[in-house]
Amino acid sequence: MSKQINVALIGNPNTGKTSVFNALTGLNQKVGNYPGITVEKKEGICKLPRGVKAHIIDLPGTYSLNASSLDENVVIELLLNKTDKDYPDVAVVVSDVENLKRNLLLFTQIKDLQIPTILVINMSDRMEYKGISLDIPYLEQQLKTKIALISTRKNKGINKLKELIASHKELSVEACLDASIIDTTYFNNLRKAFPHQLLYKLWLVITQDVNFGKTDRKTYDAVEDFKTKSKTDLKRLQQKETIKRYQFINETLKKGQTIDLKSAKDLRIKLDRILTHKVWGYLIFGVILLTIFQAIYDWSSIPMDFIDNSFASLSEWTKDTLPEGAFTNLLAEGIISGLGGVVIFIPQIAFLFLFISILEESGYMSRVVFLMDRIMRRFGLSGKSVVPLISGTACAIPAIMATRNIESWKERLITILVTPFTTCAARLPVYLIIIALVIPEGRVFGLSYQALTLMLLYLIGFGAAVGSAWILNKVLKIKSKSFFVVEMPNYKLPLLKNVALTVLEKTKAFVFGAGKIILAISIVLWFLASYGPGDSFNNAERIVTEQYASDNLTEEELNQKIESHKLEHSFIGIAGHAIEPVIRPLGYDWKIGIAIVSSFAAREVFVGTLATIYSVGSDEEETIKNRMAGEVNPVLGGPLFNFASGISLLLFYAFAMQCMSTLAIVKRETNSWKWPMYQLLIMSGFAYIVALIAYQVLK
Amino acid sequence: MNTLIQNILVFSALAFALVFLVRKFIWSPKKKPAKPCGGDDGCGCH
Repeated sequence: MSKQINVALIGNPNTGKTSVFNALTGLNQKVGNYPGITVEKKEGICKLPRGVKAHIIDLPGTYSLNASSLDENVVIELLLNKTDKDYPDVAVVVSDVENLKRNLLLFTQIKDLQIPTILVINMSDRMEYKGISLDIPYLEQQLKTKIALISTRKNKGINKLKELIASHKELSVEACLDASIIDTTYFNNLRKAFPHQLLYKLWLVITQDVNFGKTDRKTYDAVEDFKTKSKTDLKRLQQKETIKRYQFINETLKKGQTIDLKSAKDLRIKLDRILTHKVWGYLIFGVILLTIFQAIYDWSSIPMDFIDNSFASLSEWTKDTLPEGAFTNLLAEGIISGLGGVVIFIPQIAFLFLFISILEESGYMSRVVFLMDRIMRRFGLSGKSVVPLISGTACAIPAIMATRNIESWKERLITILVTPFTTCAARLPVYLIIIALVIPEGRVFGLSYQALTLMLLYLIGFGAAVGSAWILNKVLKIKSKSFFVVEMPNYKLPLLKNVALTVLEKTKAFVFGAGKIILAISIVLWFLASYGPGDSFNNAERIVTEQYASDNLTEEELNQKIESHKLEHSFIGIAGHAIEPVIRPLGYDWKIGIAIVSSFAAREVFVGTLATIYSVGSDEEETIKNRMAGEVNPVLGGPLFNFASGISLLLFYAFAMQCMSTLAIVKRETNSWKWPMYQLLIMSGFAYIVALIAYQVLK
Repeated sequence: MNTLIQNILVFSALAFALVFLVRKFIWSPKKKPAKPCGGDDGCGCH
């Protein structure tokens, strides 16, 4: 029987920790959350030599065990809790060969917790390029560990790492530093008060503001022989600890590492000079954005048409093959049509994440953050706000969680409040279908009008976020100070495997996360559209036949009239007509109204809802786009989705707060219902006014 | 018979969908929090 061990992957951000995780686990990985908090937890399984199986956890990136954010707390809580099911049998600290000195600070801290620890030195392929050479046996001796010199890019050293993990029992658990050198008297008192405890663990429990359950600093105050020091004293001792550690690291690296600057060839400075230039930097970024949006349109049209036609055929096939009845109709008109509304957007979402992932992997995204900081400052935001705003293009929920590393409460609150304006992946399906319906297919300078409209919508979202941040900065009376530090990783060619895994993971999250909600809502909507109260619905056939008795309609025309009458008098028809007076000034009919109301749960439900409503009672094999294009405005008579109503809808979706999960996260992050309620009312009210003006001006 | 089975399936699907949506957006049973490190639990950190 094979045995399973727990392996924790720990390291500074930008050391290639995720690449190591991908190299070890391949596709055997899953993403979840740590219990009780929404910090992302990645775990996977790796088969090691001699039948050993490793359960690998990719812990959040941290610079040290002195936690300053929730992500970092996760690392400390796990390393100090032996009863945790994920407590590591071996810790693998991933470092980057170019930043070894800084990375070793975290390594020495983990080593001092007496957990068997392996040091991985990643990016070894850059050593020659940077003129770096390492004396591995010397470093292993000084750091009392085993070292795996690897390159995830060239796939080198991974087998050695697996071998070292499998032989984790042979690793030394001897500490690098004797903790008592921080303050001999204080630590002697500690040792006397808690003779059976590891000194460095005690020190972390005392100094870190982390949830250790019943074990907090008050426990120590209660012990008679021992009194904790003041916060200022503890801070001073923490600084002293860091100095002592760096003295040890400097001493070790003096002999263990040599850097020959003469043989180093570096393009980085030259590239940085151009990519972060105050004119060229923005121009290049603009061109990159244009290319991305154009490619999203050009590359995905063929697979999208294929998916759309396939779902239309599947729906028709279901109706023709299964026995006639309510459930067959539910499958064909509700479930298949609703799901078609999700699956159709997979190509475009995959392409968007492909580009975002390439920009991140190459190191360019950090330059964008640096570049945007100049603009952000003018609007009362921190440079750190750029990360949530950019992550918001995927989903507002992780983006809002990413604000936790903003120290200033005012800047963090403003970022939380404005992030939902950023165009998230859920808005994309709505934008794409409306743009396809109302924006012509022509081109200007090789760029299609449709791609330009999409890019404009992204810029409008970003502009709304920055503009409202400026207003909030003036309105909110909260005093705070802030600073901005961003690490610029080296430029590198994106690793195909990492890019592919990111695209797969994000697309899966969209399809399965949104898919379940859309499926459930499609079923409910189909039911509401297929059943209704009273005579008007139940006797629809008789009423319509009598009404059109003298009109000599064909059977097909009569059936259409009956289905249309039934839909209008169904539960959903009644609800839709009730809200119609509110949405009619925006150019929408009651069916769009139902789609808007249902998409307050999640925006992506919009297309699925319309697909379900329009397919109820339809016998034709038609694509979602054709069904929507064929809808007629009941008042004006022309196409329902025309330029005016289309732009109005696009603007409504750009500004409205339509995501219950985001509201729940904002409540959790601000610890109050006040802020999410403000967001819901102000954003949606603003969306209504802008959509109203747009329709009234353009109609 | 066929109509009855089809109707039962429709109402079952509706019930599943409604329960899923209520649990997702309105009410979901609270999960037990992870056991904290404290007391005599062998965490080695106290």
